[in-house]
Formats: sequence, C-alpha cells, structure tokens
Amino acid sequence: MSEHLHNALLIDYLRRELPPEDDALVLAHLEKCPACRREYEIEISLSESLRTAAAREELEFPSMIAARVWEEIRSARPSPLAQFVAFFRPAVAVPLVAAAAVAAFFFAMPLTGHESSPKINAAYYLEAHAALQAQNPLDERGPAAVQLIEVAAQDTSAPTELADDVNVGLAAPSAFDAVR
Amino acid sequence: MGQPTPEQTAFLERAMGQYGKATYNFAYRLTGNESDARDLTQEAFIRVFKAWRSFQPGTSFLSWIYRILTNLYRDELRRRKGRFQEELPEDNAPQEFAGQRPMAVTPIEDYVERQLSEPLSRALAQLSAEQRQVVVLADIEEYSYQEIAEIMGCSIGTVRSRLHRARALLRRLVERAQKPTS
Repeated sequence: MSEHLHNALLIDYLRRELPPEDDALVLAHLEKCPACRREYEIEISLSESLRTAAAREELEFPSMIAARVWEEIRSARPSPLAQFVAFFRPAVAVPLVAAAAVAAFFFAMPLTGHESSPKINAAYYLEAHAALQAQNPLDERGPAAVQLIEVAAQDTSAPTELADDVNVGLAAPSAFDAVR
Repeated sequence: MGQPTPEQTAFLERAMGQYGKATYNFAYRLTGNESDARDLTQEAFIRVFKAWRSFQPGTSFLSWIYRILTNLYRDELRRRKGRFQEELPEDNAPQEFAGQRPMAVTPIEDYVERQLSEPLSRALAQLSAEQRQVVVLADIEEYSYQEIAEIMGCSIGTVRSRLHRARALLRRLVERAQKPTS
C-alpha cells in the first residue's frame, strides 16, 4: 500500500466498516503518510460538523403531532372488511349460525326422502311368525291355523299393503289377528 | 381503523413519548422543513399504530420507524414528481446547484436554503433525497451500513457507494461555499 488511499477506503475505515486485515493496513499507512492522514482528518471533521449542525438544529417533538395522530385514529372509519368482521362477533354470530343450521335441516329433509315410510317386507314377519308357531307344540290354533298363516305369508300383495302403513310393527299383528 | 385496544394505545403512547423527538428530527433532516416533517412524522406514527403487532420486541424501534419514514418520504417525492411532471435527481447525478434542481424537490429544498445559513446545511440540502438519507443515517444517526441497508431497503454496496458519493459532493460544496468571492 505505497500509494495514497482512496477516500472511500478512508470513509469505511472511519466508520469501522473494514475487515480487520484491511483496517490494520489502513492504520499502518496513515501512520506513515501525512497526505492520507490529512484527508482522513478532513473526513473526520466532516462527520463531526454534520453531527454538530444536527445537534444545533435539534427540534422538540411538537405536541400537536401526537394530538393529530390521536384525532386521526379516532376519526378514522373502519374499513369495509373490518366492519364485516366486527359484525360477526360471537353475540351475533352464534344465533345466526344456529338459525342457519335449523333452516338447513328443514330445507334438506324433503331431499333426503324421509317423507315416505320405509319399505319393509311384511311377509318376512309373517313367515317368521308362522315358523315359530309350527315349531311350537303348545300352539292352541293347531296345524290348520299354521297352514292359513303360511298361505297368507306367501300372498305377494301383503307387503305392499303393509308397507303403506307407517308402523309395520303394529300392522303385522293386525294381519295375524285377521287370520286368527 | 377500528376501535384501538388498550395495548395498542399504550404502545403508541410509549412510542411517541420515547421516540417522537428523534423521529421528528429525522423527518426534519430529510425534508428540510417543519411542516413536511410534521406531516411525515404524523403519518409514520399512524402506520406504527396500524402495524404495531408486526413490531418484533427486542429489535430497534427507531430503525423500524426510520424505515417507515424513509418509505413514506420516498412515496411523497414520487407523488410530487407526478404532480410536477419532473424527474427526481438520480443517485448517479447529484445536484450541483440549487437553481438547476427540478421542481419535484424545490419547495423543500428552497425553504431549507432560505432558513439555514451554514454552508454545511446548505450543502446537505443540495444532495439528492437518497444521498441525504444515507448521510443523515450514517453520520448523524450513526447507523452501520447493515442497519442503513435495512432501513433504506437496499444493499450494503448501494449504501456504501451512495455515502461515498454524497460525502465527496458535500466536501466540494462546502469548499466552494467557503471560498471567498472575488
């Protein structure tokens, strides 16, 4: 580093922004080069002058700024998004969601087919009952009654008629009573 | 903006109480006049209020608000540029003389020149906005290149080159002003 240092290097040195090895080289050069040392002192005085000038001109924080900031904040209208979000606070949102859920339930009912009764094959109950009767030696009605039950059970119209009744559990005994 | 929460209110009160003066002075050094500095500081604190949750505890509040302020100032200069249909000075083409400066920064710069008599202050006012920012942050606020780069949103290399050019220009302007007129 026999030549003079560039001012950019002196500024970085002044600001301690150089890597340690470069910093040491600049320090060593400044000790033996009066011209560079003079340039360095000018850079130092420039920084000091800037700080002195800034300190001399330092201003107090005007209280009107704080007042205007608060006024601006209080008078600001919330954004449409903020208004929308604020509307859906829990006190409003919970009843709304509950009402929507109830409405959705009643609206969805016709679509799911719950209006018609389930189609259950009543012959199954008659067959099962007849089988139980046939196996029961204590049955008071005897074999003739059992035969009649079996005929009734084979009747294909029975399931359709019974299916029209909502309560199959009640319909099955009544059919049995007719046979009896 | 919505109803402020107590935490948000306390945050802003503390921010203005502790850093209001520094922020205002930084704004004043950027703009060069008290009216613009007041507007800029006010807007910066409103931004702080809105974005208070994004502040990371443990980091420098001043760096954060200086960054906000720098961005606001840049936006303001762009807005004025659009209004006057004039170009802002580029970093590579610093303004040598106030009379040759474009209309975009003239209202601020002219006021500075009327108010301040010190050659250095005049010279500082003749720098481009970005050069003045980097000089204020480096030499007056004494931030490192890394911190200045974060505040100004540019690379360390850009900070370094802007500072070198700005200081070289400052020196020339001060030397010229100090020469006796013959």
